[in-house]
This record gives sequence, structure tokens and C-alpha cells, in this order.
Amino acid sequence: MTLFGIAWRSIRQRLLTSGLTALSLALGVALVVATLVIGGLVRDAFASGSGLGYNLIVGAKGSPLQLVLNSVYLVSKPIENISWSFYQEFLPAAARSDGQAGRYAGSVKTAVPICMGDYFKSFRVVGTSAAYFDRLTVGDGRPFAFSAGRNFRDDEFFGGVLGSAVATRLGLSVGDHFAPTHGADDGLEHDPFIVMGILARTDTPVDRGVYVNMEGFYLQEGHAKPVEADAAGHDHAPPQAEVRATTSEAGDAHPTPLPFAQREVTAILVETAAPAGMPAELLAMGLKTTINEGRDGQAAEPIREIRTLLDLFVRPLELLLLLVTTLVVIVSAIGILVSMVGSALERTRDVAVMRALGARRSHVLTAVLLEAVILAVGGGLAGWLLGHGIVAAIGPLITTNAGVSAGFFSAAPAGELLLVPLLVGLAVLAALLPALAAYRTDVAKWL
Amino acid sequence: MPEPVILLENVRKSFAMPGGERVDVLDVPGFVLARGEQAALEGTSGSGKSTLLLVISGIMRPDAGRVVVAGTDMTRLDEGRRDRLRADTLGLVFQQFNLLPGFTALENVLVAMSFASGRPDRARATSLLEAVGLSQRLHHKPAELSIGQQQRVAVARALANRPQVILADEPTASIDAAHQQQVVDLLTTTCSEHGVALLVVTHDPGVARQFPRRLRLEDFNRAGRS
Repeated sequence: MTLFGIAWRSIRQRLLTSGLTALSLALGVALVVATLVIGGLVRDAFASGSGLGYNLIVGAKGSPLQLVLNSVYLVSKPIENISWSFYQEFLPAAARSDGQAGRYAGSVKTAVPICMGDYFKSFRVVGTSAAYFDRLTVGDGRPFAFSAGRNFRDDEFFGGVLGSAVATRLGLSVGDHFAPTHGADDGLEHDPFIVMGILARTDTPVDRGVYVNMEGFYLQEGHAKPVEADAAGHDHAPPQAEVRATTSEAGDAHPTPLPFAQREVTAILVETAAPAGMPAELLAMGLKTTINEGRDGQAAEPIREIRTLLDLFVRPLELLLLLVTTLVVIVSAIGILVSMVGSALERTRDVAVMRALGARRSHVLTAVLLEAVILAVGGGLAGWLLGHGIVAAIGPLITTNAGVSAGFFSAAPAGELLLVPLLVGLAVLAALLPALAAYRTDVAKWL
Repeated sequence: MPEPVILLENVRKSFAMPGGERVDVLDVPGFVLARGEQAALEGTSGSGKSTLLLVISGIMRPDAGRVVVAGTDMTRLDEGRRDRLRADTLGLVFQQFNLLPGFTALENVLVAMSFASGRPDRARATSLLEAVGLSQRLHHKPAELSIGQQQRVAVARALANRPQVILADEPTASIDAAHQQQVVDLLTTTCSEHGVALLVVTHDPGVARQFPRRLRLEDFNRAGRS
């Protein structure tokens, strides 16, 4: 019989105590693992959202973080809207009705407007143009892909595209109709839109979005900006929008687009130009400064804002959670100490007998330490499985709310790999006292 | 003259009392147990019988003198080597049997084997238990065995590493008269069959009478003589 066998037999002899000790360890480790994995997923969620093919977000003046959270992560509330004319300043001559390039057009490669404030069920509705999916990317330059259907065209006023999590959660398919509600998920119901396409999963906040053609969005009640009257009481004749709806699967009517003067946008997703010989970051920085010095709105860098958010809130919170869970593990290790001390006291006679049979002091010391190691490894591995099990169990919730996939095999940061060896080290440390007691057992006294 | 398996020369052992004074427990000028010999060692309570066994087995180191077991002077060995020598050459049977309660009968024998030089031999452990009539009780824990069966396990365990001598400390003290004779018969017969020397410490003259050699500790231990 090996020392391992002797240690294992000792554990089995005290099955209830040993089992409870291993269980407390497992729960501690499960908490640490779940915290690490979920923390990692949260970071991934923020990181994935900060690289969607645009590097600036332009919106109303206010909190830049709020602007980013609302526009990119589809959380928080919109600050305010910015004027349509301000949006036009980002467009090239060809995209404007007056044929003149906007003030910032030279620094901009892509500018995609978004309009927010509506909901479908609990999901945010984003009014935008077809350019959102045609010109922006998932990240790493990959274009958006559709698991079913296609992107809506700008002339399909009542076309919509669903993020993968929305389609899965609500069971919607291409061709289904859905009616957003105004301002809240129980607000006034708007006209129905038709699902033109469902996006392939991106593991970004886009998965949680309901995207509709902004032309249709503008036509809903409460979305048109009231027309200002001049001193003489005459309405300004608003220039007519150039987009014309066509008869299509997205609607058989020919609605008249909302005049430009009655339009606003919530934010503009801007990809700055990258002219030869000039760093793109420098151009973005210059554009941001120029916009922020003006009165029309503000520009925020999603990556910078998210980094600030992570540094100020997420990481400290994660560290706090990690600290708490680490304390749980340490308490569990103390549990091993208590268990092992109890075991050592119960087995003093056994140790004396083994010593009389020829066991060396090192044998009994090793057997006690091995017992602690077995408990630590067993409890640690069970905790690891349990921790990932917890993540798998709440995975759908995380996927829906954070837009990242979370399953049993979701990887935690590298720190997780150190967990079991760390636990073994703690257990050995905790078992050292009873092990030394066994080592010093007075054989003659106990026989 | 047969070769001695145990040889004691001028062995002395004393203990410090709480008051600081030392009390001599052993002062043995000479003691020999020959290979294959069976002897009973009698003595009154507190005469130093158990201390003598602890010194012979190397668990306790004498203050002075030589303790030679199977040709090796134990007093020259460090503790680890004494432990190994004890595992390899001595079999111990205790008054309370001292079986490990969490281990089965078979495992109790295997545990003893794991501390000796050789590898644990499951077949031999099984055969030893079968030889003492426990073939149906190999996987029973001590609590599931009768007193007599526990004592048989203790004897099988003492024989596990092919010892040259078995030291039995009051093996009949805690059992009833009906079982006492069984234990004595088991020890003497088994040791004879295996050619193992046997030294049984007892305070019971009835038990001592059954051995070819009877020793009274007071006769060769000068400690405590006034």
C-alpha cells in the first residue's frame, strides 16, 4: 500500500468531514472561477464593442461615456439629439442635397447616423442607414454577415435587421413583422417593420440590437422635430429628402420621407479618413478637438472611454470580487487546517502504530500532506468544473445582455490556471501544522 | 550455541520525573534471545517490561549499552534506519492489537509491508490471513471482526515482512480466558511454522508457563533493586 493509498484511506475513513472540507473548497474555487470568467467576458464585451470599424462617435454634448455606452453598447439613455445639418457636415458633396462637401468631410471616411429611443420588447431599436451593415465592420475588418436574409436597402423604409441574440430570444425569422414602441418597452406602438435579415452572431453588442431603416423610423409618431415658425409666423419650407421609397417586400406604400428640417440624429458613427503620410490617430484627434471646441456636439473615442470605464469601475470591481472570493478560498484552506487537525488528533494512535510498524517520520508527514493535497486537488477540480458550470448555466443570460457568448468552455484569464496549484500550496501550508504533529508523535506514549 | 537474534549488553534507560529527578527503569547487563527461540518475559507492573520491548524494537533509544537485532547494532543507527530495521526484522503484537480502524484486515497487513524494504505483496498478505483462518474476513474492518479475529490479523501483520523475531506485549491482557489460550497457541504455532523467534511479555504466570523459556525481568534488570 502506497502513502497515497494510506492518505486516500484516511480521507475515506472520515468521509463526511473530508467531503464537507472538499465541498467548501469547491465552492470557493467555483466562485473564483466564475468571477474570473465573467469578468473576462465583461472585458471582452467592452473590448469587442470598441472596435466596430469606427473610431469616433459624435453626439450631443454631455457625458462622452454615456454617448459611447448608449451608441455602442446599447445601454444607458441617449443624451440628446444633434441636428441634421450638423450630421450633414460629415458628408461628402455627393451625399448632400446642396452638392457641397461638409465641413468635416475631408477627415471622414464613413459617417453612419443612428437614431435611438425606441424599443422592441426589451431590446433597443436603432434607426440607421444601410451603410451600418454595408460599410462598418464586426471588428478586425470583417464585414457583417447574415445568417438569414439580407441588409435592408435605403429605399426600403420599413425594413429591419435583427441581431442574432434578438432573433433567437424572440423567435423571429425573415419576413416576420415587428412593431417598435416609443421611448420604452411598454410605450406607444409604432408601425410594424419587416425583418429583412438576421445577422450572424458577432459576439458584440450588435447581437442585441434591432436595426430599422431610419427613413421608416423618422415617419413614426413623435420622431419628427417640430417645424420652427419665423417672426412672421411662416413655416420654413423644408427641403425634401431625396430618398424615395420604392415598392418592395419592406412595404408596398410610397411614403413621403420626412423633410430634412424635421430630422435629428442621436449620434454619428465616424470612421476617420487615413490620408497617406499622416497617422490616422492624429487626424482623429484633430477632428475630435475641432468638434469638441464647437457648440454643435461632442466627439468621443469609444476605445478611450471604455478603457476609462474599465480602469475606473470594472477592474476595481473585479478586483474586489476577486479579493472576496480569494478570501473564501483562504477560509476554505483554513477549513482544511481544521479538518486535518481533527484528523490528526483522531489518528494520533494510528500514526503511532504506523511508526511502530516501521513508518518513518517522513512517511507520516507525507501521508498527512498528501491527504491535504488530495482534498485540495479534488475540491479544486470540482470547483473548477462547478465554476464553469455556473457560467454555462447563466451563459444565455450573459449572451443576451452582454452580447458575448458564454459557455462551459469560456476561457478565464491565465490566472485561472494557477488556481489549483495555488490551492494545493495553501492546503499544504494549512496541513503543515497537523503534519508536523504527526511527525512528532511520541510512539511510546501512544502504544 | 544458536546465533542470537536479540542481544543486549549493558543497556540502561532512565526517565526524568516531573520533579527533575531521574528514575532508572532498565539496567540490563546482558540478555540474549536465540534465533527461533520462544520465551516468556514476566515482570510485575512497572518493572520495565514495555520499556525493554521499546528499546529492543528501536522505538526508544537506550541511554547506554548495545542493542543488537539480527546482527545490527541499533544504537549506532539513526532513527530512520532503526525504523527500517524494525520494519524488516521485527514483528510487533500489541496489547490492544492496535489495528488501524479505517483499513480492512488485508490492508492492515499491506500497510505493514509498505514500510519495509520489499514491495507490498498482496498475495503474501492474503496467504498470511488465510493461514490464520481469516480467508473469509480479508475485507472486513477491525470493528467488524471479533476480538479473536482481530488478534489473528495482528499476528498476520506481525509476520508480514518475514521478521526474524516477534515481540508481543501483553497479547492476552485484554481478552477473556477463553481467547487467551487461542492467542498463545496462535503465536507459538505460527512462529514455529515460520521459524521466527518469539518474545512474549506477560504478567500472567499461566501464559508464561506455556513457553519453553521463562524469564523474570527482575532477575536480569538491576534497575529498581534496592
